[in-house]
Amino acid sequence: MSVLEVKKLTVGTKSQPFVKGISFEVQRGEWLAVVGQSGSGKSMAASAIGGLLKPNLSAGGMVRFNGNDILEMPSKKMREIRGKGIAYIFQDYQSSFTPFLTIGKHFDEYQRTHLSMKKSQRIENTQQALLSVGLAAELSTRYPFQLSGGQLQRAAIALALLMKPDLVIADEPTTALDSISSFRILQLLAKLKEESGCAILYITHDLRHAANYADNILVMKEGHIVEQGEQAQILACPEHTYTRSLIEAVPILKQTSNL
Amino acid sequence: MTALTKKIRKPNWKASMLILLLCLLALLAAYTFLFLKHDADAVDLNSQLMPMSFDHPFGTDHLGRDVLTRILLGAQLTVGYAFMALLAAIAIGLPIGLIAGYKGGRLERILMRIADTFLAFPDTIVAIVLSGLLGPGIENLLLAIVFVKWVNYARLVRSTVVSERQKEYISMAKINGLGDGQIIRKHLFPHIIGNVLVLASLDLGKIILLISSLSYIGLGAQPPAPEWGAMLNDARPYFQSMPALMIYPGLAIVTVVLISNVLGDYLRDKFDVKKEVQS
Repeated sequence: MSVLEVKKLTVGTKSQPFVKGISFEVQRGEWLAVVGQSGSGKSMAASAIGGLLKPNLSAGGMVRFNGNDILEMPSKKMREIRGKGIAYIFQDYQSSFTPFLTIGKHFDEYQRTHLSMKKSQRIENTQQALLSVGLAAELSTRYPFQLSGGQLQRAAIALALLMKPDLVIADEPTTALDSISSFRILQLLAKLKEESGCAILYITHDLRHAANYADNILVMKEGHIVEQGEQAQILACPEHTYTRSLIEAVPILKQTSNL
Repeated sequence: MTALTKKIRKPNWKASMLILLLCLLALLAAYTFLFLKHDADAVDLNSQLMPMSFDHPFGTDHLGRDVLTRILLGAQLTVGYAFMALLAAIAIGLPIGLIAGYKGGRLERILMRIADTFLAFPDTIVAIVLSGLLGPGIENLLLAIVFVKWVNYARLVRSTVVSERQKEYISMAKINGLGDGQIIRKHLFPHIIGNVLVLASLDLGKIILLISSLSYIGLGAQPPAPEWGAMLNDARPYFQSMPALMIYPGLAIVTVVLISNVLGDYLRDKFDVKKEVQS
């Protein structure tokens, strides 16, 4: 059964569409990578799924989450889905957390909104969540500016997975990190996906990330889906010239003998 | 933003001193009845225009009223009225700016165009026109001040909310299923309140000056209210024989305006992240 079903989704202003009728499905436990260069509309499509569009943008078409149409949902129901069903991880880890609240406060507020449990239980959950992404439990008393980029992104992942969502939308979570940190974050995401069984909609411009972890790949260009299919097939024999150029654009470290 | 967070948590002693001084003055003004033996409005024609003495430390005015008593009670009036006007302006401007900034879209445009219209009126002119229409008096003066000042708060709050709204922690709060009220209260309000405090402390001095200057030309507080500007006006005919009568209320105005401006500057520097990064 599919967790997310997107049909003919369009996103844009009144005069200009940026996402031009895309359709795809995400199965339970699947890792789907959406690949495309900047401006291809991949992030905008992701925002539309969570209902996070800016006021001047509107979405059309159909987005079904576990069978319910999200675009036409009353806001109260939507809030519950947002809390428990769909989680996001953003690119900009620096501003993912409210600067004047401690990390722990974020976790606490989130649990208090959606679950009814004792404070001690909430604190334990928070510490457990931080430990599961390889952070020390003491970090819950720190402010966001006291953490490094990699730590913040880990905390953001812990927060996203706190309610055991069915779908995690990761919007270029590693783009702002250095290559070692981003590699670790990807590994962590893959591990947590195996443990929790959630589906991941992974948005990236970097095909290397898609190549290693994704089950399926979806290539977007200028608001259209130009190609979609299994990871191995897309990487091995891309049909569309754009996909081919994306694959060729991946930098490869070559060993040079004359160093 | 990180600098902001740090600064909120570590207040400097200079600011503490200023706030302490302000509180001290407020207390002095609020509890005048404890140590003043004269009635601010008691006319004593036998002791007109007396120089300073033990009984009247600041002397008496042209109706024989004790000047020190009137200055201290005037602090209640002038600063109290300025605070009232300021609070009313914030109470109107803050929610409007908040709604406009948070909701965006057409509502924002409508609200902000209304605010722009109000911005077109200079405060002194509005005060004079309102006094002409409704009659002179401190209530109408306060009305005029609120009429003009709320716009500044609406615009400030809106611009703060608009710039913060785009940051991802607001999206994060939304996607985590928090309601609008909760997001505004917990995640936006601390940003807003800092900026509003800075503007308010700078505005306090301006409003005191406005009240005093309009009272001076007879449009604000009416006699016998011991408002500082009105006292200046009362003392004008005697300024050659008794210049002290003008100096005391003038000094009182200068002191309070100075404190509020220094406090405002200080707060502005503290909340200015760029300056903080440079130093």
